[in-house]
Amino acid sequence: MKLLFPASAIMGLPVVTVSGGEDVAEVRDVIYSPGLGHLAGLSLNKRGFLSGRRKDVLAAADICAIGRDAVMVRDETCLSSPDDAPAEVGHPESKRNVVGDDVLTEGGVSLGTVRDLVLLSGTAGEVVGYQISTADGGDGYIPLPAQLAVSGSTLVVPEITKEFVVHDLVSLSAAVDDFRAQMGPA
Amino acid sequence: MSETFHQVVGRKVVSRSSAQELGTVSDFLYDGVRRSIAAIVLGHGRKARIVDWKNVTGFGADAVMVSDDDALREPADERESQACSGKRGLVGKRALTETGNELGTVDDVVFDPGDGRVLALVVAGRERPAEGLLGAGSYAAVMEAEQDPVT
Repeated sequence: MKLLFPASAIMGLPVVTVSGGEDVAEVRDVIYSPGLGHLAGLSLNKRGFLSGRRKDVLAAADICAIGRDAVMVRDETCLSSPDDAPAEVGHPESKRNVVGDDVLTEGGVSLGTVRDLVLLSGTAGEVVGYQISTADGGDGYIPLPAQLAVSGSTLVVPEITKEFVVHDLVSLSAAVDDFRAQMGPA
Repeated sequence: MSETFHQVVGRKVVSRSSAQELGTVSDFLYDGVRRSIAAIVLGHGRKARIVDWKNVTGFGADAVMVSDDDALREPADERESQACSGKRGLVGKRALTETGNELGTVDDVVFDPGDGRVLALVVAGRERPAEGLLGAGSYAAVMEAEQDPVT
């Protein structure tokens, strides 16, 4: 059983070193570009109440795992200054926010708009689905293929995605496997 | 032969050469690389003192014997100062898996009084072998993911 959770749930989680058991920072926001299939990285706050932003960022390659209660890194050297980090993390494009984007199938049917990303627990930030607001005002989740076509403020997803719209994260966990099996290897 | 942290806290520490009682055990300083006890902490706060494990000559049921009165020293660095103020003890720390999920609180530590090796941690009522302990610090004890209940 895979554990999925929305990306918004990791805001404020501590960043903890595996080797030292120290909390070195906390999550400020996720850095993501559609098409990557995983988070590019995380921006950080200093640890503690009202301590403010930390300049360093955490690139996905330096994350051991993102879990329910903490983001795990090997040691404190995994945090890097924006200039040393990959450009997609250190200096992300300003127009990369997918929240609010329209989700269209290849057949031209709108499934709704993106509300949040859905992450797979225990990975370095693999994005396996989106939480969407459907046209009738409801809430749903859609699985994502490993590769995703992106076009401006619209995300184009495979036609069969509309058969996989589910209403909770537990069903999404199963839907992701079925969906990717049907899609074949990316 | 093993002892647990809770059995040992409060045990008196006696100098072998002078037969003086130097204090009582309040905490351990844990060596994450060797998975063993690096030193014993006596007392609390500013008056706390440290005895390196190599100066412990006998870990008995009624007293911890140390070589002489000079075995007691003041904390030498920040890590040791934190240990003296009780911030680094394993017991009471949250236990996290390397995948970032919380297992519960470290309730007790089982160790070998002969060589100071940590044998197991008791987390949320379950004894878990020390081989699964990857690191421990001021925030958490980090355990291998095999110990993870959710995946």
